[in-house]
Amino acid sequence: MALKSSYDVIVAGAGHNGLTAAAYLARAGLSVLVLERNDWIGGAAVSRSLHEGWTYSNCSYVCSLLRREIARDLDLPKYGLQVIPYEGGASFTRDGDYFAYYSDHDALRREMARHSPRDADAYPCYAQAIMRQCRFIRPFLLRDAPDPASMAPRDLGEMGYLVKKAWGLGKRELGETLRFWTMSIGDFLDEHFENDLIKAHLAGSGIIGTGLGVYSPGTAYVLLHHYMGDIDGGIGAWGFARGGMGAISKALGAALEDHGGTIHRGAGVAEILVRDGRVTGVALEDGREFAAPIVASNMDVKRTFLRHVDRAALPGEFVRQVERFKIRGSSAKLNIALDAMPAFPAAPPHASFLRGDMHCSESLWALERAYDDWKSGRWSAEPYVDMLIPSQIDPTMAPPGSHMMTVFVQYAPYDLAVNGTRSGENWDATQRAALAETVLNQMSIACPDIRERILHMEVRSPLDLEREVGLTEGNIFQGELTFDQLFFNRPVPGFSQYESPVKGLYLCGSSAHPGGGVMGAPGANAARAILRRAGKGATMKGYAA
Amino acid sequence: MSRFDAIVIGGGINGLVAAAVLGRRGRSVCLLERSDRLGGMAGAEGAYPRMAHLLYNLGPLVRKDIGLGARDWPFRTVALPTVALNPGGAHVRIDGTEARFVDGRPHPDAAAYRALVTRLGGYGALLRRLAEAPPPGGDAAWTDPAALKQMLRLGGFGRALRQMGKAEMRGFLKVLLSNAYDLILDELPDGPLAGALAADAVRGLAMGPRSPGTVFSLVYRHGHGGTVSLPVGGMAAVVAALAEAARAAGATIRTGTAAARLLCEGDRVIGVETGAGEVLMASRVLSSAAPLATARMAGLDRFDIEASRRMRLIRARGTVAKINLRLSALPRIDGLPDDLLGARLLLAPSAEAVETAFNPAKYRQMSDEPILEALLPGVTDPAQDAGGAVALSIIAQYAPSDLAGGWTDAARDRLLAAVVGRLAAVAPDLPGLVAGAEVLCPDRIEAETGAPGGHWHHAELGLDQLLTIRPANGLGHYAMGLAGLYLCGAATHPGGDVMGLSGRNAALAALGDGP
Repeated sequence: MALKSSYDVIVAGAGHNGLTAAAYLARAGLSVLVLERNDWIGGAAVSRSLHEGWTYSNCSYVCSLLRREIARDLDLPKYGLQVIPYEGGASFTRDGDYFAYYSDHDALRREMARHSPRDADAYPCYAQAIMRQCRFIRPFLLRDAPDPASMAPRDLGEMGYLVKKAWGLGKRELGETLRFWTMSIGDFLDEHFENDLIKAHLAGSGIIGTGLGVYSPGTAYVLLHHYMGDIDGGIGAWGFARGGMGAISKALGAALEDHGGTIHRGAGVAEILVRDGRVTGVALEDGREFAAPIVASNMDVKRTFLRHVDRAALPGEFVRQVERFKIRGSSAKLNIALDAMPAFPAAPPHASFLRGDMHCSESLWALERAYDDWKSGRWSAEPYVDMLIPSQIDPTMAPPGSHMMTVFVQYAPYDLAVNGTRSGENWDATQRAALAETVLNQMSIACPDIRERILHMEVRSPLDLEREVGLTEGNIFQGELTFDQLFFNRPVPGFSQYESPVKGLYLCGSSAHPGGGVMGAPGANAARAILRRAGKGATMKGYAA
Repeated sequence: MSRFDAIVIGGGINGLVAAAVLGRRGRSVCLLERSDRLGGMAGAEGAYPRMAHLLYNLGPLVRKDIGLGARDWPFRTVALPTVALNPGGAHVRIDGTEARFVDGRPHPDAAAYRALVTRLGGYGALLRRLAEAPPPGGDAAWTDPAALKQMLRLGGFGRALRQMGKAEMRGFLKVLLSNAYDLILDELPDGPLAGALAADAVRGLAMGPRSPGTVFSLVYRHGHGGTVSLPVGGMAAVVAALAEAARAAGATIRTGTAAARLLCEGDRVIGVETGAGEVLMASRVLSSAAPLATARMAGLDRFDIEASRRMRLIRARGTVAKINLRLSALPRIDGLPDDLLGARLLLAPSAEAVETAFNPAKYRQMSDEPILEALLPGVTDPAQDAGGAVALSIIAQYAPSDLAGGWTDAARDRLLAAVVGRLAAVAPDLPGLVAGAEVLCPDRIEAETGAPGGHWHHAELGLDQLLTIRPANGLGHYAMGLAGLYLCGAATHPGGDVMGLSGRNAALAALGDGP
């Protein structure tokens, strides 16, 4: 499609949230241009062919959080999105045993009882507590976070909704909720379970992507953040997007184009143009300019305002707060092409849990120690790994008989400490190779022959994530999920409703409420905010709130 | 058999305050203290400090409610400067919001420090409104006068919040649940000044400055005045003043008398049986013992399973050891003028160092390089030097109560050596001056005072154990399930430190008329 010189809305960045926002806006009848620096779309929800015949979901790798309202509104299955749930997972131990997690209740109970009969008894109580919290929080994901300092009717209304929901919990449950939200996942698990391995298996979701340890208060919420998704109504279920995570972006992109929107690849935004406190358009790295009264930035809050907006156009206090936004990278990734399925000696042949998420951490202490390494600028000596082999379920990912493996690594710092200096620049080929060695050693606990199976391996440090996808410091959530950066504090107090001090400039990425994960909620919420304030009377029909 | 209106179990700060408040309201009160000495963690033989050694938060509200008038405490206090020691560098002197080098040179971060501490003080003033009343929520119907009062109070809190102005209010709501480390290092470069704040944020807690929630504890410390003062005559003078207030209010104080059992009739508490088998009747019993210990005195079978589970799950891992050294002479500290020897001396070289010291505590190990608060009280108040020796009172962190292998003599010696070694970095002649040492590890503190885990606040001051859910969900309003039974110790809202607000709030709750 031929490019015009001006649009109703320009979206800077074709991550899944940018595409979601753009698709909603196009559907509402606005002319929308999405500008993407890379030659491909999807941001961190991509499928890349980096080794002939193999497809890597080389950033995000599993799917659950994508709001079903969005999939429904934008009709994503029509554009090819198919999410295949996977079942179960396992944590392997050095002494050749494992704990397997099954989605089948009876199987899970038997497996838990094998490690601890008491824990098997305790699990339903734990699962119920988590589920109650999920149910409480889910309605807030697609609503605006109210500004408590504002007396505007919308804010008061949203605050009223919050109070009503909290009140509705009842006194006892409200107390439990306050506790849960402020607890560490370690303490929460210690309250329910006695077995180290079971606790370690369940704790992983509390730290993925964060700069916190399992015993840091607030990690119970992070766990929730990973549980509040669903697949086909199965709350907390996870799955693979057929064709890799890029399939989500592809479907969103197709929906956008079907509604008349335009995606322009290989077009990096150099500057978001502002005149007299209003956004006027964007200038590209190649010098071209596009005009629009509304620009939605899918880039994180730091990148958007500290790199692509003229400092003079922003209030000093706002800049100060953006500078203090915490966005420390904490994870790395290996993507591996395997010539065959690796052997998992501990597991029975064809065990169902091999198709799920696999780990090699044996205790909460081991996880906490992994965090201590990160604090001092090193990657964890014994990292938490989240390994999956999606090609078992989705044959499109690798040639027949071969497999693709994705390994998420927690913790790896962005500002790596080398010879007393801490800097992202320290991530050179040597350091990456050394990180891969550490990770492969850890993986060998589960699959000792992993090294012999490797045909090709991509090692991604936080720096790589920053350089390729644009996520500042390689933080996968576009900003840490701590209390001071959630809900009405995200990304900056007073600007939690997707707008910014620059009129017409919005944030639509994960830096905004409700935060990261391949969820689409920030994008959809931003589209709603844009339509409400500047949408020529257009609204998002049938959409929550 | 004697009969009282109320019995208070435990003669620590909060127990004494509770007894005095009840007595002042015309109730006959009997206070039972297991040991021969009053004061609990603040108690001491003579002026020489034993566990607690300084005052932060003892406020005029408590003084007024125990009948000591509005003017001043009967003991004299001396406000102390704080010195952030910097091994191998220039020490920093801190007076309230002012920081400068000890030799008088201006500190490059003084302005940033002043701004930060002033901000924290403002937040603290706001939180104090919550501390000086029972936490929000409660069983009363909303038409009940107590509930209405509480609504008014919450309204007042909301109003005060709004009066801060939009920007300040947003700032407050942003940082309140955050971690002290980021808050401090956003404003100050890491060093002794940042380290001093970080150490204050975590003192007594099983958290490091990077743990979310430590801003709350920092604000808590700075909010109730924030000034550090040394009571002349030592903590013993404070305890004596509180005991005198209780006695003046008509309370009977019996030391050496342990409460062994709570007597109940149905779901009501009716009295206490002492260790010696004596029966004291009362319709109200206030216990400053830990919640679980209190429940055990009544019999756990009187509480529903959820309540007893919650009490068992209250987190109270003590992390502080108290070390009392007797020195043959005043030590010399490199780079510190003699007139500052009497200051509160902090050895926390950086916020990073505080976090690093915390790391081993997570795995039940003691810090290799503990964070210290040291005090030479005799410099300011000669009475606090014991028998010709110079007293050096040290709070050392982290020394976890659940140390792997237990607090054996060897472990205690190791801790002592680590502490003396740390001090030697700034006072090289100190090791040679040590004439005697008393090492009070969390196990000893627990054994002597009954505080679970030897924890300063009887229950961790974590976000999940604050306000309405302190010490546990359903126990947040001093009442404990059995009619007439109340908690009045530091485990309740608002928590420990030599503050007395828990005892005061509990007494008012027990009186049924709310503060």
